[in-house]
Amino acid sequence: MNRTILVTRPSHDQTTRCISAWAGEVLDFAVKRGDTVIDLAKDRANRKEFESVLDKKDPSMVFFNGHGDESRVGGQDNETLVDTQNSSRLSGKVVYALACKSGQLLGPVSIEHGTAAYVGYNEDFIFMTEPDKRTHPLDDKTAALFMGPSNQVVISLLKGQTAQEAHIHSRKAFFRSIRKLMTSKTSLADSSALRFLYWDATVQACYGDGRM
Amino acid sequence: MEQEIDKEIKELVIARLKTLPDDKEVSIGSDGEFTKEQLIDHVKKNDSIGQKMVDVEMNFLRALKEGALFEQ
Repeated sequence: MNRTILVTRPSHDQTTRCISAWAGEVLDFAVKRGDTVIDLAKDRANRKEFESVLDKKDPSMVFFNGHGDESRVGGQDNETLVDTQNSSRLSGKVVYALACKSGQLLGPVSIEHGTAAYVGYNEDFIFMTEPDKRTHPLDDKTAALFMGPSNQVVISLLKGQTAQEAHIHSRKAFFRSIRKLMTSKTSLADSSALRFLYWDATVQACYGDGRM
Repeated sequence: MEQEIDKEIKELVIARLKTLPDDKEVSIGSDGEFTKEQLIDHVKKNDSIGQKMVDVEMNFLRALKEGALFEQ
């Protein structure tokens, strides 16, 4: 079954460059499965284009990558794409927001406004990076420890699982990273990521239980 | 008494942050990326980033104590 997925991938600072690069990995997965991906990358991750795609293409899933706070998620240059005032635009859609804190308010409010499911983070999404990999974020093995479990949400949804199942699988992936780092073979430097992996696993939240 | 506990927690968090590697950074949303030394400075200043680090470390230490890291 062909489904349409809308992805926002701003790229205006180091954090957005890194998470947007890693989001590209799941987009390839979606295309290989025969889904249609609408990729609002860099300057295209603006409110006008975002709302236009929602109106014209009616995607079944929205995958946000960007900065956020309790009530909003941003795009390029942190322009607000969706907030508690216009969250009814997400009605009927499954949403994953790789953004800080939007699970606190925007998630539950969007469910009240008809969103099928919202997976996000109730607090800051914190991750570690290797500064010498800034220009090649996909080669950053430290960032990979975090981005793999995050991408698991989208992979599970693409495979037809419900949002709650996707949330559980993502948490399990975080805990797999944690267990991997707790072996005696892991250096102290690598195991320093444990605290942040556990944090991200515990602050990820899921509202609603729809599927794509 | 409460101030003493806060001081002890701060010292514990700083000690743990000192174990972070020198060649990696920590990305905290729109606040940006931080080195180990920068994070320690924020904890000393007790600002919002410092408080966030206290929350992260205490969350992790509680999980260790309760065996929650193996829950999944």
